[in-house]
Formats: sequence, structure tokens, C-alpha cells
Amino acid sequence: MPPVIDPKKCVHCGTCAQICCMDVYGPAKPQTVPQVRYPEECWHCRACVMDCPAGAIELTYPLPMMILCKDAPARGEGGDRP
Amino acid sequence: MITMDPVVRECDVLVMGGGIGGLMAAIAAADAGARVIVAEKADTRRSGSGATGNDHFVCYIPEVHGDFEDFMRELKLTQAGLNADEPVLRAFAARSFEIARDWHKWGINMKLNGQWTFEGHAYPGHMRTHLKYDGRDQKKILTREALKRGVVIENKTPVAELLTDRAGRICGAMAIDVSDTVPAVKLFRTKTVIAATGSANRIYSSCTPAWMFNVAGCPACTGTGVAASYRVGATLVNMDIPAIPAGPKYFSRAGKGTWIGILRDYHGKNIGPFLEKPSREHGDITSDVWPSVFRDKQRDGTGPVYMDCSELSEEDMQYLLWAFTCEGDTSLVEAMEKQGIDLRRHMVEFGSYECTLLGRGVEIDPHAATNVPGLYAVGDQVGNFLSHIAGAATMGRIAGERAAEYARTAEPDDRVENHPVVAERRAFYTALMERKHGSSWKELNITVNQLMDDYVGVYNVRSETLMSAGLKYFGDLRKRAESSVMCRDAHELMRALEAFDLLDLAEVVCLSALERKETRGGHRRADYTFTNPLLNGMFVTARLQDGRPVISMRPAR
Repeated sequence: MPPVIDPKKCVHCGTCAQICCMDVYGPAKPQTVPQVRYPEECWHCRACVMDCPAGAIELTYPLPMMILCKDAPARGEGGDRP
Repeated sequence: MITMDPVVRECDVLVMGGGIGGLMAAIAAADAGARVIVAEKADTRRSGSGATGNDHFVCYIPEVHGDFEDFMRELKLTQAGLNADEPVLRAFAARSFEIARDWHKWGINMKLNGQWTFEGHAYPGHMRTHLKYDGRDQKKILTREALKRGVVIENKTPVAELLTDRAGRICGAMAIDVSDTVPAVKLFRTKTVIAATGSANRIYSSCTPAWMFNVAGCPACTGTGVAASYRVGATLVNMDIPAIPAGPKYFSRAGKGTWIGILRDYHGKNIGPFLEKPSREHGDITSDVWPSVFRDKQRDGTGPVYMDCSELSEEDMQYLLWAFTCEGDTSLVEAMEKQGIDLRRHMVEFGSYECTLLGRGVEIDPHAATNVPGLYAVGDQVGNFLSHIAGAATMGRIAGERAAEYARTAEPDDRVENHPVVAERRAFYTALMERKHGSSWKELNITVNQLMDDYVGVYNVRSETLMSAGLKYFGDLRKRAESSVMCRDAHELMRALEAFDLLDLAEVVCLSALERKETRGGHRRADYTFTNPLLNGMFVTARLQDGRPVISMRPAR
């Protein structure tokens, strides 16, 4: 469930909870590892990962948001499409 | 009773929502000498649909584009003309360059490689109107500029209601403090409000219905500025014509214009006729010309449709991956990495997302003023003009200047504390908070979604009987929800009020779509299957008069 905080790295600054546009963390208590109270409301904007001064947050992506892909078609010599 | 903060905040200009439009409005109003407060639902440094970046800014630069009329012609023809009133479009375009210059001066990189670079969102052979830029830190920079000018920013403070005096002028606003688990009501006494809360991004089901917040624009934007403006008498416009974003299927993300590739079918055959090879200057505009392409090809069995970037040179591939970070799509890049997807050798399936009210909503004049004295609106929540980031930023500045000027002479009645709307709403919030058993906000939001999908949807047809039934069901839902929704904390109260705003807007969408008796774009009527040329350039408007909706049509201006 997104996001996941590594408690060993967290410096308890509360930045993630403060800047989250979805209030996924709810209010953070000072000097504690913030809780992820509303994980299903994450927009996956990744602001908390980008702004965490300790690099303590990792975003996980839910299975329903799986990106669908297939191999691009092979090209002939010279880069032309067959 | 729900706690009331005893301090009534006072200002000349209250900005409702600290996104791009709101912060630019606040900066301009402060520069004009007004006392400004920004009331923001989250934190202005990372909130709204521009939270982590954008990479295209519509901008007229004389030395690049030449004659202003040529630029306007291109804008109307291929970019923003459909739902726009021309005087607003002109007011925006004329001042767009000064915003780009200021942003660059403030530290947002608007000049890639040291020059004004126009790339993407363009038709081959046509003038390019979109300035490519790096917006990853735009919200932090605009926040800093606002604070520098003495703007007061109240984060974790979503405005829920606007207040008008006996003459119908703006006199205040009511917000919820959600900084703690226990909510409190905050009151503002103000002469003007600039509503800038973005689109309504959770009104239809997400493309992954069980994952409600997987939407292209910020899911915290739920049309509160539109709904609250409507409740105090502002005219809404174009609510009948749906906006349908697209991008990587199931990973709902704005930024389709950032992709540099070609839309291809399962066998690698081009879908559209516009490009043979992808280039930085031109992405594939097939899905702009044919917005229902993904659904159409899914339904007729010739799908899926893929985005193929595999022909890019390594230099252009690096450029594309970098552009995603400018656009704020680092999660897309990371998610692809985690799934082992490499755009050099994989095609990614694209799809249509949930319909939104992007660029549908409050009607403004070229000064960003609404028909309610003291009320201005900017950004995605405006209904007769849309130019995304650049439109929000430029009209934000215009709104801020005008609101500051209006505030110098406005003298609304001083009745905020004893305003009847405050008493009525406070009692309602209290009932939601004190209920021990009942329905969650999520149930209300989901029910709005399923009724929107089925009765005034865009992937199903619309008709007189379907929409009339839908309206009746929305009324039934309102009665049940008002007496059953319960909230356990401030966060849930915020979400519940969002869902009630979505319900208000759902009814306006129904009423507006009933009025348009033709098929046009995503508005497909089973009982009027043709596009009526007599309705070209005709906009449906909606407003409340004596508590009842008045729906009509007017020509584009």
C-alpha cells in the first residue's frame, strides 16, 4: 500500500504529512514516524518521496494500476518497419 | 456542536485554493496593495493538479509567433476554441508572455537551452503555441513569491461555503480546519473571493473503479469552487460537454502531450494519418482529433491502441524521460521501471480515463469576474475558457489585480458571524460528526459515480428519459445521504463535503445535458443523434434563482 516509510531512515520531520495533497498521512504527531492513515487515497504524485530529506519513503503501486505493455514491432535493417 | 474558531480572519482578497491560478492571483492582489489570504486544502507547496510539475505553457511571444491574430487563429482552431468565449481567450493570450518572463525570473525554467522553445501539442505544419518548460518546482517557487509579498497562507483549510450579504455581494467564507483529527469551523470576512479549486476529478468513476483516487488530475479537486459559487448565484457554463482525458491505461495520469511517440495497433500499424515518425516538435495528435479512439477500437475489436516510442533516438528518449519529470510524472517513470517496461522496446497501451469537469464550470468575463459582485474564478474550474497552466496563471494575475481594485471601494454588510448560512451549515456538519452509525463518505462518492456513469455518462448514451430518471435518483440520494452520512474525524468530514459538492454538480450536469438537444462531442444523445449546426457556438448556462435552477442557452461571445 502506498507510501511506505522506512522507520530506520525517518527523521520525524513531518514533511511528508504536511505536503501530501491528499492528506494520506493525516496529522503527524511531532517527533514520530508519520502514520499512513488513508493509503487508498494516494494519488501517487510522489511529492513525499521527492521532498523527504532522508530518502525514507518508497511508493508502492497497486496492482489495479498495472501498466499494460507489449513488445514494439521489430524493425528491418536501416530502422524501417517491416 | 462542531467547534468554531473564535478568530474571524479579515482580508480584502480571499483566495480559495492555492494552486497555480490561486497563487498567481494572491501574488497579483498583494502587489496591488491588498491584504490577501490563501485558504488551501492541503499545502500550497505541493497541492493541486500542478503539484509536482507541468511541461507545457500556452504563450504568445511576438518575436516567435509574429502577428497576434495569427496566434489567436491557431488557438481557436486547434487548441482552446471549443468552449471558450473569445474576449476571455484574447485577454489571456495578450498577457501570457509577461507571466512566462516573470516565472523565469522567479526560478521556474521557462527557457530550455536558454531560449523560448515551442514543442508538442501541435498539428504538423501549424504554428506551435505551447512553450516547453520545467515546472517540477513551480508550486514551491510560487509559494515563496506569495509569502515574500506578505500573503497569508492557511494550509489544511478547505473553504466549504461562500457567504454573500443582503445585496448578493461577497462578504465572507466558511472553511474547515483539517490540521487536526478534530475539525473546527473557520470564518473569513472578506470583500472578494477568487475561487480557484480546479476541476471536479471524482465525479465519474475512475478507469479503475475500485481504486477511486486513480484519476488524471489531482483527486483532491472536487469542484468545490464551482459548487460553492453556484450556491451563491454564480452562472455555470458548458457543464453539458464532457472532458475526457487519456493516457497509459489503468495508470491515470495527465501529460498525454508529453509523450513523444505514435499511436499504433496491436500489429504496429499507425492508427492516425498525422505522423510517420515521432519527433520532439510533434507528438501524435490522433487522440486529440479522435478522443474516443481508445474506446471505439476496444468496442469494435480492433484494439488495443498502444503508444510506441521505440523509434526515438537515444537522445530523444532521454529527453522524453526528462520531460516526464518536468511534467510531474516521476511516478509514471518509476512505475514503468518497477514493471521492467522500457519504452525503447515496449509499447504501452493507452486508454480513456474518467470524464471530468476540466474547463467546465463558472462563467467569467475577461477580468475573471463572475456575475456575483466580489466573486472571481480562475483555472480549471472556469467554464468558458481553458488553457491549463498558462490559462490559470494568467487569468489568476488578472483576477488578483481586479479583485484588489474592487476591494478598495466595496463595503459589504458585516454579518459573517451571524450569517444564516454559517448557522445552518454548522448544524449540518455537527450532525455528520455526531452520528454514531451510518454511511461513509465513500458510499456517497461511489453512488454519485455510478449514477453519473449510467444516467448522464459519456461511454453510454444520454437521453431525456435516462437523464430525467438520473435527476430523480440524485434527489433521492441527497435525501438519504443527508440523513445517513457519518464522519469520524476532520479528514472524513472534508471528504464528505467534497462528495456533497459532487452531488450538487451532478445535478447541474444532468440539467445542462437535458437542455442540449443534439449530439456533440462526448455528449451523445440517443434521442437526438445528430449535431445541429444551429447550435454551433451555443453554450448551455445554469444558475440558481430563488433556490431553483434556471437553465438556458446563449451564443458564444
